[in-house]
Parts: sequence; C-alpha cells; structure tokens
Amino acid sequence: MRSANTHLKFLVALLVSLGLAITAYQIFVIGIPVTEDATDNLWTVDTKVEFQAQTGKPVKVNMFVPPMTENYVSLNESFISNNYGVSVQRDNGNRSLTWSARRAKGNQTLYYRLVLSKRYGSDTPEAKGSIERAPLPVEGAEKIAAEALLSPIRQHSADIETFVRETIRRVNRAGDDNVALLLGGDKSIERKVQVIDLLLSLARIPMEQVRTIKLVEINSQEPELWLRSFNGEKWLYFNPESGQQGLPADRLIWWFGANELVSLEGGKNAKVTFSLNSNQLNAIRVAKMSDEKAEASFLEYSLYGLPLSTQQTYKIMIMIPIGVLVILILRNLIGIQTLGTFTPVLIALAFRETQVGFGIILFTFITALGLSLRSYLEHLKLQMLPRLSIVLTFVVVIIAVISLFSHKLGLERGLAIALFPMVILTMTIERLSITWEERGGTQTFKVAVGTIIAASLAHMLMTIPELVYFVFTFPAVLLILVGFMLAMGRYRGYRLTELFRFKAMLKDS
Amino acid sequence: MLNLIKTWKELSAKGIMGINRRNADFVLKLNRRDLYPVVDDKILTKERAIAAGIHVPELYGIIETEKEAQKLGEILANHKDFVIKPAQGAGGDGIIVIADRYEGRYKSVSGKIIGHEELEHHISSILSGLYSLGGHRDRVLIEYRVTPDPIFKSISYEGVPDIRIIVLMGYPVMAMLRLPTRQSGGKANLHQGAIGVGVDLATGLTLKGTWLNNKITKHPDTATEVSGVQLPDWDGFMKLAAGCYELCGLGYIGVDMVLDQDKGPLILELNARPGLNIQIANDAGLTTRANIVEAHLAELAKKGITETPEERMRFAQEHFGHITQAE
Repeated sequence: MRSANTHLKFLVALLVSLGLAITAYQIFVIGIPVTEDATDNLWTVDTKVEFQAQTGKPVKVNMFVPPMTENYVSLNESFISNNYGVSVQRDNGNRSLTWSARRAKGNQTLYYRLVLSKRYGSDTPEAKGSIERAPLPVEGAEKIAAEALLSPIRQHSADIETFVRETIRRVNRAGDDNVALLLGGDKSIERKVQVIDLLLSLARIPMEQVRTIKLVEINSQEPELWLRSFNGEKWLYFNPESGQQGLPADRLIWWFGANELVSLEGGKNAKVTFSLNSNQLNAIRVAKMSDEKAEASFLEYSLYGLPLSTQQTYKIMIMIPIGVLVILILRNLIGIQTLGTFTPVLIALAFRETQVGFGIILFTFITALGLSLRSYLEHLKLQMLPRLSIVLTFVVVIIAVISLFSHKLGLERGLAIALFPMVILTMTIERLSITWEERGGTQTFKVAVGTIIAASLAHMLMTIPELVYFVFTFPAVLLILVGFMLAMGRYRGYRLTELFRFKAMLKDS
Repeated sequence: MLNLIKTWKELSAKGIMGINRRNADFVLKLNRRDLYPVVDDKILTKERAIAAGIHVPELYGIIETEKEAQKLGEILANHKDFVIKPAQGAGGDGIIVIADRYEGRYKSVSGKIIGHEELEHHISSILSGLYSLGGHRDRVLIEYRVTPDPIFKSISYEGVPDIRIIVLMGYPVMAMLRLPTRQSGGKANLHQGAIGVGVDLATGLTLKGTWLNNKITKHPDTATEVSGVQLPDWDGFMKLAAGCYELCGLGYIGVDMVLDQDKGPLILELNARPGLNIQIANDAGLTTRANIVEAHLAELAKKGITETPEERMRFAQEHFGHITQAE
C-alpha cells in the first residue's frame, strides 16, 4: 500500500509539474497570450509618395522601406501603384523598393502600406557592424577646431558609449566657438550629424545614421534622425540632439545611412508623407498572422492547427474534463448526489443548445412527465425493458409536441432540442427510474436536484469564454487536472454533507 | 466556515468514518471486485454459507427458468409458510412472504390472499429481471420464513428486525439492531426510515438509536425505550458474523442477520458497502475501531499467526465491548 502511495504521489507530482512546465513554456517562452482579450497594437503605416512625372521619360522611384529586423514584425505589406512595376531588394541592412514605369504623365501618387505588430517577432540577431573606420579628410581651421574639441571629449569619456554621448553634448552646446566654426552657421540637425560624424571619425569611432518613424497616430511626420554605433558587442543608438541613448520602443527603423528616403528618376518634386494608424487586434490572431509570416510556427502543433469547424468541436470537447472535475468536487468533496458521473456533464452539454434556464425547465418538465408515466406503468406490472421502451417513446413524442407547439407559437427555443439533448433526456429518465426502483422517491428527487445543480454549475464553468480559451490554448492544464483527480482518488476526508450528517454525534458528547 | 472546521476536527478526533475513507481505505482496498457476486447474489451467499456450516434460513428451492416455475407446487408441497425472493434484488423489493395457506390459496403476512397463478406470475417477473439491478435476468429463491424472536415485539413496529454487524478482516467491529418503522414500511433499511440501535459487542445489550441521522432513545411507533434490551444468544451472532470473512473473502462487509425464534441467529445477506449510520447508533467511530484491528493484524502478521473466528470474536469483545453509556 505504501509503495502504491509513493507511486501515486510521484505520478501526481509528475503530471502537475509537466502540465505547469508546458503551460509556462507556452506563456513565457513562446509568448502566447494568457487571455483572449490580450490585444496587440496593430500598426498600419501608409506611405504616400507624390511626384510630378516628366513626360516621355521612364520613371523609376526608389524608396527605402523598413528592414524589419528588430522588435517589429510585418504582418502584411502592400504596394498600391497603377501601371508601375514593383521590386523589393535588400542591401547593406536596408530594404528598398523600386517602382518603375515606362512612361507616366502628370501628378503621380504611389502608396506603400505596411501592417506591423510588435510582439512575436523572433529575435533575429542583428548584423554586426564594423568597429574600424578611417578618419574623414579635414583640413585647415576645421581640423584645428575638431582637434580642439576632441581633446576634452577624450578626457571626459571612458569608452565608445561615453565618447559618443560627450561628442553629441558638445556639438549641441551653443556658444562653443569650435562647434560654431564646424557647423558653419548651419544649425540643422543634418549638419550637426555631419559634424558629429566628422569628430567621431577622427577618433576612429564608427557611426551610422538611422532614420526612424515614431509609432503614434499623427498624420504627418518626418523620419527622425538617430545615430548608432557598434561597440564590438551591440549597436548603441543615440539621439543626435539630446544625446539620449537607446532607441525608444515606439520607434520603427526605416533605413540606415545618409541617403535620402526617395530617389527619383524621370520625375521631380517628390514628396513623401507618412500616416499611421493603430488598431487593436485579438492577440492570438496577431500571433497566427505573424506565425504565417514567420514560417517557424509555434501554433502549428497546437489545437489552432485544426480546421476551424473542428476547432469549434474541440472547444466543446476539451471542456468536458472541466465539467467532470466539477462533478468530482461536488460529489466527493461536497457530497451532493448526482446521477452517475457523466450524466450531469452530458446534461451540461445539452444546456449549450437549450440555454440553462429554458433547459432546466424543459428537463424538469419532460423528466417529471416521463417519471409519472413510469409510475403509472408500475400498476400494470410490466417488465423492465418494455416499460423503459414505452417511457422513451413517450419522451420522443413529448419533445416532438413541444417543438411543434413552440414553432407554431413562434418560439425558436423549442426547436433547440436536437437529437443530442433528446438522447440525454431519455437516458436521464431511464437512470432516474432505476434509482426510483432501487432507492425510492425521496432519494430520486434528491438525486435529480443534485444532478440539475451539478449540470448547471458544470455548464456555467464550461462556457466561460476566458476559461475555454485558456484550456484550448494551453491543453497541458488538463495534465494538472488529471493530477488533481488522481489525488482526489485517495482523498479520505469528510464530505461537506457528512459534517451535517454526523453532527448529531457531537451534540451531547 | 470556522464552525465547519471545528465539526470536522471533532468528528475526526472521534474517529468517525466518512464515505471517502470507507471507499478508499476499506471497500476498494479489502473487497476484491471479482468476489462481489458472492454477496450480490443471495443464492451464491447461501450456498457458500451452507458449505461453510454457517446458519442460514433453509433453502426450499431455486427456480431459474420459466419452465421450472411449474415445479413451484412441488417445492412448496411440504411448507406452510415460506419466502419468495429475487436472488439479486435490492432494498427488499420483490419479496413475498407467505405466512399460511387458505383453501388452496396462499395468505401473505399482511393477510392478503394470493392465488397460485399470481405467485407464478410474480416468479416469472423476478426471472425476467423486474427487481434485479439493471434489469438482468434473475433467479428466484424460495426459503424458510423467519419468525422473529418475541423479544423484539415491544420495540418493533412490524416486519422483521435484523442485526447488522460490520466485519473487518473477520473481526466484528460494530453492531446495530435495525428496527422497521411505520415510515420504512416494514423494511429494515435505515435510509428508508428504519431505526438503527447500537449493540454492545461484548454483552449484546442495546444502546441508543438513530433515526434519520438523529439520535433517539425511543421507538417512534411504540414509544418504548430502545436501549437496555438484552439480545439473546449474542455470542452466536458474533460467531456467525466473524465466520463470514472465510465465507466470502471480502475484507470489509456488513453482515445482516436475524434471530429466529426456533433456529436462533441466521445470516440473511452480506453487504459489500455497508452504510455509515451505524456510527450514530453506537455513538462511536468506525475509523478508531478499524485502526485497532489493523494494528492487531499487523502484529499478528509479524508473528505469523492467523486467528480463528472464535479468537477474533473474543478480541472484538475485549476491545470494543462493555460500553458504559452516559445517561
């Protein structure tokens, strides 16, 4: 017996930890959302390119598009452009698309739409940058000014990170003569970046420009200029004006380098506007969409891999253990008597089709009629099988009549009794009448009420959408359930009703 | 909530056994499923008992097929009174007790006159499974009619009172006298409203009673005190019950017995899942007593001894008997 106990404990521990581990893996490693309501921001970035085509010349528009290598994943990309051929190419960490047409006339408008989401992007390792670079050529007064700037920067810095920060700080400081000379009166950010670039190059620190788009819902924004530098391990991002380090989470990298966003051949006055839009989307759908994109699929071997209609069935089926658990708790812990174990669960399933309130009324009504017929047949001294057959036939007739009446009255509910609830009803009546035979009327009443309570409770639990989602998405919780059921198999404590049953024994002692 | 926890603690301090414990520690552990037919089928029980020399009501005949039903007259030829029972019936359904003959017909205990054809129809109903669990085909048992000892007249309403003893691995651990009431319709089933009266294992003196989960001291129909009645031939009951372990091989059973005024203690049937209300009747917990028996068994197993039914009876009487009841 002892060995059996250890065995059982081991099995329970194994199942529970396995269930927990799988679920934890799904939640924390794969990142499947815990509730269906967990929504992700889904961003739609519309890029509009307008220009005037020069008549008679072939048109070629080259535009950078996000390389999508970091925290964002593209769910959908579309190119709206009549009469233009589109091609996308990658080079040097950038991605660009080319619209081309043999001839075009007048104002042209091209659209590029990108739908992206933040999560589920697999961590692709960033390409390493170079840590070597040659100094940019500089001469005369500028060289002296640059060197004059560099020596305090060197003194105030310890590594690449602090050096870049210090450089940005100094270049942005107003009133420095050396900086003023280098900027040459141009205080635009582009010029500042050029100066920073020059200074860093003299210190042989690599630097790269990064253009980003901020993910906020505003209708016009210019790509924001950032700097990045590779320190041998990772890329460090800097804001060239404030010196702020680290790219905020809401920035989407559009392209790297000093090139213009759009280069145009055979046209003029190119103008690009960005408009951003966010909408919330059910997280699991986002996961599915990014899954399709990413090819590496974590949902493929889950129940989501089934066809939709089958999924619906499984959503019901996978909740049956939950219902059984309810019955188990009600019977062995609380002490409510029910008709067998599975019957209340089946009735709960039938409630899906009839709704609880109507279902209870219907079940009570039909069962009561069936049982009264049975007690009438009792007087005729019929044998068991013929008697049950008569009851079952009677039930079918009652159900048909109810359906007919409710249809005539315009109540669609009555028609809800499909084949499934009918089978369960007849089964219930059969089992109830056996109970009646064996244990008497009071007992039957108790059992029937217990069954209805158990079924309603099971139904309520089995239809909580959050719970359905959770169990369906993380089926490993069923292992935990089995562990609990196993443990219940050796539960020896009192049932709640027994506390009342034996209360009399404590009265005078 | 706190109250419930308190009740729980008190109950478990008293050693009261709950259904979960009964099932997990006793019924599932000690009662082999394949031996259940021995207790479920009254004919099998009787055959085993006769073979083991244990007293049961005398078997007059068995009817297994409709054809054999014609032998009914033959079987009954020498008996004025008898009982017809389904072998696998439950809750006392389908039992006809004939007390006398009346001009070629039969007269039941309640005075109803029954014709021979009616009796045959009843037998064919039993055979077809009208009274058996789940409607299986059944067999008919015709046996000696027990006349309850007059000792019970004062504390019993009608029907036959019986004595149940819970036997754990052959050791009687608790006993109860079950008295039919008006509410139970003459049946000795506690959940149908019969009274359970605890019995001192050593002396056979009745203790207080239980009725519908409450403690009582008087019979609700006759208003006579139920305690302090000396059951005759108590050691005979105890011996019978202790011997039932060898008879059926089940480790945890309820043995139902009757006291016939001529033949003394007789075994009526065995129950593989005896109820727990016997604890209320005895004001004692089954778990406590079961633990004592299990400790004793473990000790015996170490020494390699097995005890005879007689020794087991003595052990039980020594450890569980001689209860002084607080008035």
